Amino acid sequence: MVNVETQGLRKSFGDTEVLKGIDLRVPEGAFAVLVGPSGCGKSTLLRLLAGLEEASEGTILFGGEDVTTRAPKDRDVAMVFQSYALYPHMSVRDNLAFGLKLRKTPSNVITARVDEAAAVLGLEPLLDRFPRALSGGQRQRVAMGRAIVRRSKLFLFDEPLSNLDPSLRTQVRVDIRKQHDRLGATSIYVTHDQVEAMTLADLLFVLSEGEVQQSGSPLEVYEDPANRFVAGFVGSPAMNFIEGCRVSADGTAVHVGEHRLTLTPRETYAPAQLADLEVCVGVRPHDLNVVTESNNSLPFSPSILETLGPEIHAHGTFGAHEGVVAVSAEIRLARGVMVHVRPTRLYLFDQATGATLR
Amino acid sequence: MICLRAWRWLAAFAFLLAASALGISPARATSPPVPDATAPVTIWHAYRGVEQATLDALVASFDGDVNVLAIPYDAFGAKLAAAIPLGEGPDLFIDSHERLGDFIHRGLVTPLPPETLEEAAYAPQALAAVTLPDTEGRPRRWGAPLSMKSLALYVNTDLLPEAPATLEGFGELTETLPEGVFPLAWEANSAYAHAAILGAYGIGLLTEEETFGMRGDGAERSLTLVLNLLKAGVLPEDADGALVTDLFRSGKAAAVISGPWLAGDLPDTLHYEVRDLPAVADAARGRTRGEGDAPALMRPLLTVESLMISPRGATHPRAAALLAHLTSAEAGRRRARDARALSARTDAPPPSADAFLRAFQAQASLATPMPAVRAMRAVWEPASRAIRKTLRQDMAPERALEEAARRFRDVRRPPPPPKDPTVLLTVLGALSLFGALTLVHRARRPAMRARLRASLPAYRYVIHGVLLVGVLVLGPILVGAATALFAGQPHQMYYVGLDNFVDILTARSGPLFASGSFYLVLIVTVAWTACNVVLHLAIGVTLALVLSRPLLKLKSVYRVLLIVPWSVPSYVTALAWKGMFHRQFGAVTGIIEGLNDIFGTHLEPIAWFATFSTSFAANLTTNVWLGFPFMMVVTLGALTAVPKDVLEAAEVDGATPLQRLWHVTLPMIKPTMIPATVLGSIWTFNMFNVVFLVSGGEPDGTTDILISEAYRWAFTREARYGYAAAYAVLIFLILAGASTAGARWIDRSKERA
Repeated sequence: MVNVETQGLRKSFGDTEVLKGIDLRVPEGAFAVLVGPSGCGKSTLLRLLAGLEEASEGTILFGGEDVTTRAPKDRDVAMVFQSYALYPHMSVRDNLAFGLKLRKTPSNVITARVDEAAAVLGLEPLLDRFPRALSGGQRQRVAMGRAIVRRSKLFLFDEPLSNLDPSLRTQVRVDIRKQHDRLGATSIYVTHDQVEAMTLADLLFVLSEGEVQQSGSPLEVYEDPANRFVAGFVGSPAMNFIEGCRVSADGTAVHVGEHRLTLTPRETYAPAQLADLEVCVGVRPHDLNVVTESNNSLPFSPSILETLGPEIHAHGTFGAHEGVVAVSAEIRLARGVMVHVRPTRLYLFDQATGATLR
Repeated sequence: MICLRAWRWLAAFAFLLAASALGISPARATSPPVPDATAPVTIWHAYRGVEQATLDALVASFDGDVNVLAIPYDAFGAKLAAAIPLGEGPDLFIDSHERLGDFIHRGLVTPLPPETLEEAAYAPQALAAVTLPDTEGRPRRWGAPLSMKSLALYVNTDLLPEAPATLEGFGELTETLPEGVFPLAWEANSAYAHAAILGAYGIGLLTEEETFGMRGDGAERSLTLVLNLLKAGVLPEDADGALVTDLFRSGKAAAVISGPWLAGDLPDTLHYEVRDLPAVADAARGRTRGEGDAPALMRPLLTVESLMISPRGATHPRAAALLAHLTSAEAGRRRARDARALSARTDAPPPSADAFLRAFQAQASLATPMPAVRAMRAVWEPASRAIRKTLRQDMAPERALEEAARRFRDVRRPPPPPKDPTVLLTVLGALSLFGALTLVHRARRPAMRARLRASLPAYRYVIHGVLLVGVLVLGPILVGAATALFAGQPHQMYYVGLDNFVDILTARSGPLFASGSFYLVLIVTVAWTACNVVLHLAIGVTLALVLSRPLLKLKSVYRVLLIVPWSVPSYVTALAWKGMFHRQFGAVTGIIEGLNDIFGTHLEPIAWFATFSTSFAANLTTNVWLGFPFMMVVTLGALTAVPKDVLEAAEVDGATPLQRLWHVTLPMIKPTMIPATVLGSIWTFNMFNVVFLVSGGEPDGTTDILISEAYRWAFTREARYGYAAAYAVLIFLILAGASTAGARWIDRSKERA
């Protein structure tokens, strides 16, 4: 168990700057998730933490200790790779034991730890098999086991679920969280899947373009996104954005075309500052209801329906802007409806910077 | 179906075996057709330059139609042997007399009709050279002597106005000559040159009874004498022909012993004279006890170029006339004048102004004709080895000569007696009969016939390939393997059963690990293979690992450069390396001298092919250079199959770079490397080019491997093709056994991986 901190961490490959000054702070025992679209630098950040890449600038601290220039083997971290990276020429047992053998752990300790990990992960019948004789899920568990037996202070996960089929993914996700809670070691988990991020994280870091856009608990990030990118990235289906809206002169409403949406002064809003400003309006699909009256509503023309079972995602347009509405009852296609916007769930973003207006 | 196919193959195999057994029955030389009188006379020769021009001019002055064909010297014997038995080839041909024994044996030459030669006009030693017994033991003249060649003494008159009269006398010159000038030089390691000294002791390389002549007190003393001259610095060490020429040209040898061919390499500015070879005082002492002190002169071997008549030429009405024309006194004088050839006729002396030719004429009168009998061919190898071993002080003269005599007997011992092939033929016959019956039986079954008819189009597609492979690959292999059951000369082989194998495997009834025995050569071959493969793997894998590192710049340039050794034909590489290992002029010596110059050290140039270990190392270096690119390329390919993240996983697991290599990379490329290693081993086991071209088995055949040993039995020792084929079959069996074991090993390791 160790707390992890980075200060002004930068990484460039040639002329391309992949990380542009990352400040990370993960407390002891936390499950931190780095989430972001592909190419945002999250995997690079993880590899820097593991020591597989060298930082161009900045420091990495494990438990207050500077480990920036240490080799991976001297950092005492365990890592689960996206491809699992099992040793193909070793049996499952040897795969699990390899890290311990390298550290000259006594053989009785190795046996005990391997047996324990195998029991926890249900790998006992597979111990003498070779990786090529295992299914994807089994391999994933071996990769997990390899990290577990090490009893490292820090676990790093590099998109460990992306090679699994969706049904297995949910189950393994739960398993990972369970193991984390059992072992209590600090975990840092990289994913591009925001559902995974939301469900697993104690602490969420949203990355984009080599920078941390926002950090906080999943709910904080969901409820109070720092900018339009975070708002759009976190939550499924993604938030609807309608650009080119104008706040009324008194700052109590926002005009979307000829429709008027009331702004409920939240404690963060400062109406006076917003008055007469051109903004981008954001509203989550789940905060919209199909209604008949036109009060505080927007017209919506659905074109495609995605039926998920308990709810339906209706894809369509708000005037000129594409968007999604989550509805519980079936609506009819190609026919305009009115959707009601919950006033407290309206987000305003700066047209130019994308920052959330409060 | 599999069983069926197996039967079919077995039947075909049996048939082929039977066919090839029948095909090997001794081929009879067809009797030559009688040519008609108007047909041109065909004459073959291996002359070049002025000698060729002179012959052409002589032929042009002959009244009749003549075909003159120049054949390259290296191919001359083989062409004759191939053409004459078929009634093709020349009516007359010109070659050295020492091949006569072989030509007679093969029926390539007929004796001259009596009275053809004006015997009184010929030098007696020239006549003696072409006189050999025929099959009934009567002495006959087998060729008309044209010209004679022997060694003589070249003296640099600037350095040595007065040459010593005895060989020992040269020893006293070390003090008086300038620093760095050898009093005397000759190819001391060569049996041909040493024969001149033996002549002083009254000894020949071959005795009258065709046994090894270099035995006894005189032979030992001749070797001791040369060894003492070497030790005293009178002679240069390890001198070959090129070195002798070089020393004399550059004035670093006051005198050399060489033949007329040396003159062509000497510059006009060099002042030299040709004289008789000196006497040997030691030999005179030994011989003249009580006889006074008659000088014991060195007697070089005499080679007599002769005009020979083929069986076809004997029936050609104009051949004798052409022979007379070409051997006339006038022709001899012309050759002496134009081609500077020393005529074998006493009535065609060199022009009086030609002191050079006259000196050789004087020497020729003291020379001994080289024995032309076939046994002579078995003398050179053991004699040269004995000389080298003595001069290198590896062995006392007595022991070296004893060993040489044993080797001579080994090669000369009579081939095994013919065996009755009935058993073999019966078995083969029974097998092929059984195969044929099985085939017929199967073909008559309706189901089989239907299937045959159905697959007929398929056979049409493959039949040409099967025939081609059968004729070009399978046939020669079977014939080659079957040859192992035969003995005798190529044109009269007879069945001996497994005698060849028994002979080889019992080390020819000598000690099991005697020099040249199958087992000793096998040990050398295995050591050769093991050393090579280990180094190939170590260097190839190391370079591949370095090249596959992402940090290295200009990777593709290095990769191409490192593959270059592979893309050059191996014999070119082998010859280049042999040049580099040359003791005098090689690049390695150049480096050693460079080091000496820079650091002021006194490292001696290494005589690479003088001892087993350095010679083996030279071969090894060459073959390692040739072989590592293959392993490197294979490893590079295998390394691309090692995922990066597995290595990273090991890194995170705490492995050092070395541990990653040992525990992850190497085990992961192992499945690819094992077949490559097996393949590399087989190639190396049979790496004839390098062994034959670089060390040539030097010293004394110790670095020969099985395949080059087999080659020697076939092509340099009395053409024992059956014996060589038996070696080849044994090599095949060893390799087949080893690679089967290797394949099992691969399967086992695959199960584990």
